[in-house]
Amino acid sequence: MSYLNVENLKKSFGRNEVLKNISFSLDKGEVLSIIGSSGSGKTTLLRCLNFLERADSGKITVGDKVVFDGADEKNKSEAEIRKNRLRFGLVFQSFNLFPQYKVINNITLAPTLAAKEQLKTNGEYMGVKSLKEAQQLINQNAEMLLEKVNLLEKKDEYPCNLSGGQKQRVAIARALALNPDVLCFDEPTSALDPELTGEVLNVIRELKDADSTMIVVTHEIDFAKNVSDKIIFMDEGVIAEQGSPEKVIDNPSNERVKAFLSKVKNS
Amino acid sequence: MEQFFNVTGNLLEGFGQNCIIFAVTLVAAIPLGLIVSFGSRSKCLPIKSITRTIVWIIRGTPLMLQLFVVFYIPSLVWGISFDRMTAALIAFVINYAAYFSEIFRGGIEAIPKEQYEAGQVLGMKKSQIFFKIVLLQVVKRITAPMSNEIITLVKDTSLARVIMVPEILKGAERFTMQGLIWPLFYTGVFFLLFSGLLSILFKFIEKKLSYYEG
Repeated sequence: MSYLNVENLKKSFGRNEVLKNISFSLDKGEVLSIIGSSGSGKTTLLRCLNFLERADSGKITVGDKVVFDGADEKNKSEAEIRKNRLRFGLVFQSFNLFPQYKVINNITLAPTLAAKEQLKTNGEYMGVKSLKEAQQLINQNAEMLLEKVNLLEKKDEYPCNLSGGQKQRVAIARALALNPDVLCFDEPTSALDPELTGEVLNVIRELKDADSTMIVVTHEIDFAKNVSDKIIFMDEGVIAEQGSPEKVIDNPSNERVKAFLSKVKNS
Repeated sequence: MEQFFNVTGNLLEGFGQNCIIFAVTLVAAIPLGLIVSFGSRSKCLPIKSITRTIVWIIRGTPLMLQLFVVFYIPSLVWGISFDRMTAALIAFVINYAAYFSEIFRGGIEAIPKEQYEAGQVLGMKKSQIFFKIVLLQVVKRITAPMSNEIITLVKDTSLARVIMVPEILKGAERFTMQGLIWPLFYTGVFFLLFSGLLSILFKFIEKKLSYYEG
C-alpha cells in the first residue's frame, strides 16, 4: 500500500461533474505532476485534497490514516477537518501572502496560533511548555525555511516589496512551516514572468532531493518530466493516462495526451 | 468682548452635547455596524433579508424623522418615554450603524477569497482568519469612506435639536430670539475646528496603514 491513496474521488458543481472517479496513489518522497488542459479538473482535485472543496464521495488516505471519507464526512467536526487538512499543504498560483505581515510573520502566523491552541489544550507544543519557548522554536524554524528558499535577507520586508518569484518562495516556506505530509502546488509558476519561474522550480527540485512528497499541477512539461516520479494526465474529469514520465510524456498511448503535448511543445 | 466670552461659553456648553452624541454614536455604532454587516452577509436567508430590510429602512428615511420616531413612538404606544438625550443617542447609533454596516460589508467583500483560503489551508479557524488576516486589510480599505461618514456625523449631531436636545445650534437660536444673530454663524467655527481635527487624525491613520500595499 502506498503512502497517499486517493480512491474513487468524485466532485460535481451542480450538474457539472468535474471529477469523475479519480483514483491514484503515491509513495512517500515521490513527486507527482498533474498535467492537462484548463478545465480538466486538475485544480479541483488539488482543492479537494486540501479541503477547500469537499468531494462528494471517495476516500483519501495518508499513511494508514483516513483523512477523508465521503461516506461519513458529515459527522466530522470542524476541528477534525482542520486537523486532517494539515496533512496537506498548498501553494497557490497567486501566492496569497498576507500583505500586512512581514515575510517572517507570514510564515510564523499559523504555527504560532497552532502553538497557542495546543498549549491551552495539551499544555505542550513540540516538547516545550511556554508560549515564549514555542515562539522561539517557530521563529528558528521560519528562519531555517527562509534560508532554504534563499530569502533570509528579506525576512523583515513586506510582501509588496518582493518580486513574484520571491513571493512564491515565501509562500512555499509558509506552507512548509506546518510540516505537511504532502505538499501541493497549484500552477506555482503560472503567475510569474518567464525569467522568474526558474527560481521557484529550483526550490521545488531541492525539496524533492530532501524527500518531500509533492503533488504539482503544472503547465511546465519539461519540468514535470525532469522532476516527477509519476505523471497524471487529466482530461474532462478523468485520468486519461498515468505512469512514469517516460511513459506519459515520451510514449503516450492516449490520443488526447498526444494532441495536448504537441500543442504545448509547439507553443 | 464680555458678550463674546459669554456667547462662546454658552455655545461651548451646547457643543458639549454635540460631542457626547458624537462620541457615543461612534463607540456604539462601529461594533453594532460590524454585527449588522455580518447579518447582511449571512448565509441564512431570513437573517440576511431582515437585516437588509432594516438597513434599507434606516438609510431610506431622514435621520430627523428617526429622531421623532424614537422620541415619540415609545411613549405613544407603550407609555414609556426616554429622556431627550437618550432618544437622540438611540436614533443616532441605529442610523449610523446602518451606514457603517454597508461600508464594512463593502470592505469585507473587497478582500479576495484567496486570503481566506490561504488561512484555511494553514489550518486557521474562521475567527482567526477574520481577526488575524482580514480585519486589518478591511480597516485599511475603509479608512477613507469611514472618515467621510464620521465627519458627516459631527455635523449631523446638530439635528438632535428637533427633539429639544440643548445642543449648540439650539443654544445659538436662543441668542437669535434675543436679537443677537452672529452667534448662529459663529457655531460654524466649532464644527470646522472639530472636523479639521478629525481630518488630521484620519490622515495620520492612513499614513500609519500605508506601510504595506495590497
